[in-house]
Amino acid sequence: MQHHVYVSGQANEILGEAAFTMEEIARACGMASTWVHERVEAGVLQVDLASGEWRFDSTTLVRARRIAQLETMFDADPQLAALTADLMDDVARLRRRLAMLGGSEAD
Amino acid sequence: MEFKDYYKILGVQKTATAEDVKKAYRKLARKYHPDVSKESDATARMVELNEANAVLSDPERRAAYDNLGNQTHAHGGQDFRPPPNWDAGFEFSDVAGDGADHSDFFEQLFGRAARGHRAQTRGGDFDAHPTLRGSDHHAKIELDLLDAYHGTERTIALRSARLDEEGRVVNEEHSLEVKIPKGIREGQHIRLSGRGSPGSGGAPPGDLLLEVCFKPDTRWRAEGRDVYQRVALSPWEAVMGGTSTVTIPGGEAEVSFPAGWKPGRKLRLKGRGIPGKEPGDLYLELDIVLPPADSDAERAAYAAMAKAFPAFNPRPRAGA
Repeated sequence: MQHHVYVSGQANEILGEAAFTMEEIARACGMASTWVHERVEAGVLQVDLASGEWRFDSTTLVRARRIAQLETMFDADPQLAALTADLMDDVARLRRRLAMLGGSEAD
Repeated sequence: MEFKDYYKILGVQKTATAEDVKKAYRKLARKYHPDVSKESDATARMVELNEANAVLSDPERRAAYDNLGNQTHAHGGQDFRPPPNWDAGFEFSDVAGDGADHSDFFEQLFGRAARGHRAQTRGGDFDAHPTLRGSDHHAKIELDLLDAYHGTERTIALRSARLDEEGRVVNEEHSLEVKIPKGIREGQHIRLSGRGSPGSGGAPPGDLLLEVCFKPDTRWRAEGRDVYQRVALSPWEAVMGGTSTVTIPGGEAEVSFPAGWKPGRKLRLKGRGIPGKEPGDLYLELDIVLPPADSDAERAAYAAMAKAFPAFNPRPRAGA
């Protein structure tokens, strides 16, 4: 049985640079704050220090969640999970390029 | 609601050891990981695999699930409803706070909704977490790149589950109106405060975080704030240069192509990428398109070109 609820006029906030605190990143990853701290110290996650406290870019959230998932899924070393996340980004970028090339060839 | 056979999903026997479960899960997780898999149903399969692993890799949940599976009413494919106190004698913690997607079956047995139900029927552990903030929900919203140039408003449909007064899972579909401002980039998030899971003990609900991604488009693609677009040149434009009006995201531009095309050459239109305080640039990737040679006159033109370049070799020997 499904109920439909329509919510209009919803306040929404666009999150850009320096959008998240360490605690928010940790919560989104289902990890403790120390997990985020260790990954920043290891150079796996990038931190924005402009405001004097640790803040994280909106796009870092996607990367952090992916690394957390890889570590949990495969008991992966953080550096190996980061390397895999980098390669996934590269694959996605190359697939988009390939889609453009394929589209033009099909024309 | 259909009974889910988690052993079948992971492809293991009921006698499988914890190590067997782990191996099977990892093997299938590699195959169906949505970020790399080319399988069309990868995302749905990954949700199933995660659920199956969450249950079968945890001794308490697995024991409760096996107990349920041994009862006569639990058969795959049939309408399934767990009997009251199906999990009596077993203890396991709520796992729905991980923000992952779960099926109705999983939610009914092990999710946040089930925890509320257990607390109601057994005087359970709700009081042990008097102020537990609701978990955040994560979802993706797919936009056209042009939305980043003009801004837009989208209505998105999201599903969530709650328990009704009889303890059954009820799906609710919410329609949310989301304003997308000009200048949004891929990977940015939109936060809808209070649209995540409800909190317990008077604690606030979680948020809904929408990750922005752009639909694949054969015309252009974004990398951060910069945008890349392929522009086809005729052979004579490529060699001698020229000027043309080109349709670009957000409008048109008068573009001068320099003479002397080389493979991989790009033209940068400064500030014509995704708009913002510091707008990105638009890169035109120049490609040559050969005119077709369908008529005699067209074939003669190619023949004349071949005569005009007798020494031209497009396949020089390596090292030559």
